[in-house]
Amino acid sequence: MTTATKTIERVDPLETSPVLVGRPDDRALTDSLLEPVLGPTKKGWLVMLVLFGGGMAFWLLSLYMTLFVGIGVWGNNIPVAWAYDITNFVWWIGIGHAGTLISAILLLFQQKWRTSINRFAEAMTLFAVAMAGAYPVIHLGRPWLFWWLIPYPATTQIWPNFKSALPWDVFAISTYATVSFLFWYLGLIPDLATLRDAARTRAQRVVYGIMSFGWRGSARHWQHWRIGYLLMAGLSTPLVVSVHTIVSFDFAISQLPGWHTTIFPPYFVAGAIFSGFAMVMTLMIPARKVFKFEHVVTARHLDNMAKVILATGLMVTYGYVMEWFIAWYSGSEAEWFAFYNRVVGDYKLVYAMQIFCNVVAPQVFWVPALRRNVMVLFLVSVLVNFGMWAERFVIIAVTLTRDFIPGSWANYTPTWVDWGLLFGSMSTFAVLFLLFLRFLPAIPISEVKELRRELEHQDHHAAGGGQAVARGAHAERA
Amino acid sequence: MKSYVLGEFGAEAALLDAARTLRARGGATLDLHSPYPLHGAEEALGLRKSTVPLVALVAGITGAVSGYLLQWYTVGYAWPLNVGNRPPHSAPAFIPVTFELGVLFSALAIFVGLLAVYFGFPRVHHPVFEVEAFRSASIDGLWLSAEVEAGDADAVAAELRRLGARLVSVVPEGK
Repeated sequence: MTTATKTIERVDPLETSPVLVGRPDDRALTDSLLEPVLGPTKKGWLVMLVLFGGGMAFWLLSLYMTLFVGIGVWGNNIPVAWAYDITNFVWWIGIGHAGTLISAILLLFQQKWRTSINRFAEAMTLFAVAMAGAYPVIHLGRPWLFWWLIPYPATTQIWPNFKSALPWDVFAISTYATVSFLFWYLGLIPDLATLRDAARTRAQRVVYGIMSFGWRGSARHWQHWRIGYLLMAGLSTPLVVSVHTIVSFDFAISQLPGWHTTIFPPYFVAGAIFSGFAMVMTLMIPARKVFKFEHVVTARHLDNMAKVILATGLMVTYGYVMEWFIAWYSGSEAEWFAFYNRVVGDYKLVYAMQIFCNVVAPQVFWVPALRRNVMVLFLVSVLVNFGMWAERFVIIAVTLTRDFIPGSWANYTPTWVDWGLLFGSMSTFAVLFLLFLRFLPAIPISEVKELRRELEHQDHHAAGGGQAVARGAHAERA
Repeated sequence: MKSYVLGEFGAEAALLDAARTLRARGGATLDLHSPYPLHGAEEALGLRKSTVPLVALVAGITGAVSGYLLQWYTVGYAWPLNVGNRPPHSAPAFIPVTFELGVLFSALAIFVGLLAVYFGFPRVHHPVFEVEAFRSASIDGLWLSAEVEAGDADAVAAELRRLGARLVSVVPEGK
């Protein structure tokens, strides 16, 4: 194996390090990837679960206050009618988008390195969307009437206004949540069958047996499964772009200075991918260490993700520069003031944090050695998460504090319930993620087995015939 | 009365060759079982092209058309709403929901269609599961299953052994 891998490295300068360390056989691969599920509970996992469980209790308490005392427990006011609620919503949705990008878009582009991280990223999407989805509902004021947003034949004969971006949001988010779940589950079915067959207790066998619906690895099923999975990826790709575009419409189609701008859709989508990749990194670095996934999530994966973070960070920077340029070029005093206020106004520290975390920090990824340093990767990914939250806060709340009439200006200060909803949602997300890591296969086993076959095929050709054949082997698969 | 003959193979090439030989022999409904999609299985079993894309397309168009009609009926016709003095039926504003519903219908049709129609799931009991060793089909085993007339089962089993199967079992369907 080592000689073959080395040959690949010499043949293709782009293949700097392997996407799969070694060529373990199928049973060894299955055992190592199922160990977190079938093995004994790890102490570290339990400690984290209890810790984040406490945070989740804080979230539930904040939700309780919001629902049973009323929305007045938040720091929101007029003019700042949208603050932490919508900031958190956009932030979580953005995080979710990287999962779809990794699992769908990279699948269509046949990027081999996506294979081992896609399940992980999809789970992140699912939980991030669940967290995001709560905010628009609870910020309604009377959340128990949320179903008024759904078009149904009411006795009042009133329908939702489909010319507003808010009902678009309802459809976009619910479609996104549904499709993400179906795509994730479709990919899980073969691995649930593996779990059923490798199970050590009868309870596991029964539960995973029911969850896998009776999958028997039939070639007649694999044929349709593959096509269906690819089609789902094809559908998810434009979907993910449309969802964040629609989220940005919530702002862009209004008339507020600082919001009313055509660059929002592409700039929001780039920002979503940026923050999402950072979140995958933040979660993956500790998880691969704790669950010993280093042989399937290699330095190559982290390196590639760092490059994506750098690239999307530059796109986001371009968005910032363009916003400033248009604010000046438009000649609109109100528009210029909105941007001026971001830099020197009462929230200038948040703006400084946004620029430092999103523009300055990712630049370290130009240096290859730093893209391989796990500590640097982790630190920068956490900074980017903070920076993107700051960006959404600046766009949403800071813009609202200064509207057209100086008499109606007011600042915004979050209350403990606002903080509870923010940190509590992070904890709840962490709890869901920990449960996922313990009870479901976090690395797609069947896909890694397929990847191993492809790599072996490639090794074989590379060892025999050099560059042209190695590339040919890749093309032949396509 | 049908029986299932199962055989486990050590290599992909031997499995695919066995499938081709048995298919030429006739009289059996063949299937292959593997922990990952096998390349060349469709050709070896002589499967027709998958019709899933057609299902997805029809469902997607249905979703998009119903999405557009829903919006036209509700805000364009049943309850005309004047927003910014735009016409009640303003097509550009209807694009997002039309698109989303197209994607939603298509994805649901793929998922439900695959599971319920193409795979016939849920079906947690299947004759192949009667063989304990068949568990390896989702871990590292490569299996061939043949649904045959009960009288033909022994002949097919012998044939499978001749073709290089490591392990051969016969399961009567009534079991």
